[in-house]
Amino acid sequence: MIKFRQLIWITIASIGLALSVAPGFAQQPDRGDEPGMIPDDSVELAPEYQKQMVYYRSTEPAGTIIISTAERHLYLIQGNGRALRYGIGVGRDGFQWQGMVSITKKAEWPDWTPPPEMIARQPYLPRFMAGGPGNPLGARAMYLGATVYRIHGTNQPDTIGTAISSGCFRLVNADVADLYGRVPVGTKVIIRQKPEL
Amino acid sequence: MRTFRGGLLIGLVVAAAVAAAAITYERYDTKTLKRTVRRGEVLCGVNTGLPGFSIPDDKGNWSGFDVDFCRAVAAAIFDDPKKAKFIPLDANERFKELQNRKVDILSRNSTWSMSRETNYDLYFPAVAYYDGEGFMLPRAKNIDSALALDGSKVCVQDNTTTKLNLSDYFRANNMKYQEMKFEKLDDVVKAYDTGKCDVLTADASQLYALRLNLAKPGDHVILPDIISKEPLAPVVRERDDDWMLIVKWTLYAMINAEELGITSQNIDEALKSKKPDVMRLVGTEGTYGEDLGLTKDWAVRIIRHVGNYGEVYERNVGSGSKLGIPRGLNQLWNAGGIQYAPPIR
Repeated sequence: MIKFRQLIWITIASIGLALSVAPGFAQQPDRGDEPGMIPDDSVELAPEYQKQMVYYRSTEPAGTIIISTAERHLYLIQGNGRALRYGIGVGRDGFQWQGMVSITKKAEWPDWTPPPEMIARQPYLPRFMAGGPGNPLGARAMYLGATVYRIHGTNQPDTIGTAISSGCFRLVNADVADLYGRVPVGTKVIIRQKPEL
Repeated sequence: MRTFRGGLLIGLVVAAAVAAAAITYERYDTKTLKRTVRRGEVLCGVNTGLPGFSIPDDKGNWSGFDVDFCRAVAAAIFDDPKKAKFIPLDANERFKELQNRKVDILSRNSTWSMSRETNYDLYFPAVAYYDGEGFMLPRAKNIDSALALDGSKVCVQDNTTTKLNLSDYFRANNMKYQEMKFEKLDDVVKAYDTGKCDVLTADASQLYALRLNLAKPGDHVILPDIISKEPLAPVVRERDDDWMLIVKWTLYAMINAEELGITSQNIDEALKSKKPDVMRLVGTEGTYGEDLGLTKDWAVRIIRHVGNYGEVYERNVGSGSKLGIPRGLNQLWNAGGIQYAPPIR
């Protein structure tokens, strides 16, 4: 009898736990940035988000970056019908954008100064954070035009493939370092969004 | 006398016309839609069992890319994707069974080629899946282009176009290779898996399925290069234009839906859209469904019950499946691939 009662409590507790945890996983936006968290580099990306050479037809010249927010992929055009594809995390609903910009600056282990509009939304964020493994910008950052947006690394490798950011594009640190070594300042970046209904 | 002769002549002409019409009717079936509607289900000829494309489970439920396409046709006609009956056909009998009206559509990974259209009185309405010959090799070799395969030992099935394409490709690119050919595909795979050759070549969709059965699938990569054209398409009987158009535009509706961002998840939202191209597809503007012999909401039915092209791709052969085949050529024309549907207007 006691066992039965315990079972009921365990059931109720686990349903409660599931309900409280599930939205956090289902709607990544609730999770937010976690400055200071050291990334778990052993996280293995789902196959479709692992860096790989793929077929990709484009009229853009080799060296161009094309970002597809709907697919959560960043393509570095190689020419000859090929592209190097990386898995990315993108802006959450309302924080996705499209356009054509170019890389205006590159930085290794960048410091993080969250822009004022981000502080307004997420008051718990630090005003400044020095570069390093716990920094949400991760190992490298590539600045996009004159915007506040960047292509950068992350201290949350498990967020690749999700829509969670404030409009930046994040890659795991190994991938962002790889990309960083392949693209110079001045690289053209095309950001494509899924069509509006 | 004159009237008698005249009458005789007219009679002969009429008789000849009737006979000709009868022969034409005999030869060309133009009533597929009518019969399908009366029967209450679409008869689909499918592959007997090909992972990702058409395969039955132990309860006889069919799933796969080709299966879903046939369900989409059923959804367009009946508003019910279950009104599709699957008839497994092997490679040798498939075209004959279509001609004999045993099935209404072949949705069976058949390559569209000129001789198949001209010799069998069949018609391939549109390309559902662009396949082609590719290469698989151990990840450890660290090669990411087929042009870097010079000097390789290549395992290939004998007596196939695959073998001929292989030879063409290496010759055209001035590369040498050593051919390791086997009668049976199983032996080709075994030879590759035991390291008897550096590379295995077969159609790309097949390579992804074969990789699953290797000792360590994760240790092998499939190159993005496609060296031959294998456009897989549904097939219908020639000269039944009404039916052919339904099959063709079912596929194009799915491709257009993806391009417009309409999915099985947001289809109700799409019905409220004020964008002209969305309105034409979902039938809130125009009479495109009626003109096809179907209803205004024909495309809505397809998208709601089966999904757009991308959804069907990812679920069956893409990232949502064990095969995990990248979209590649089958990505939309504006996103790196060549899938392109004419507009609905």
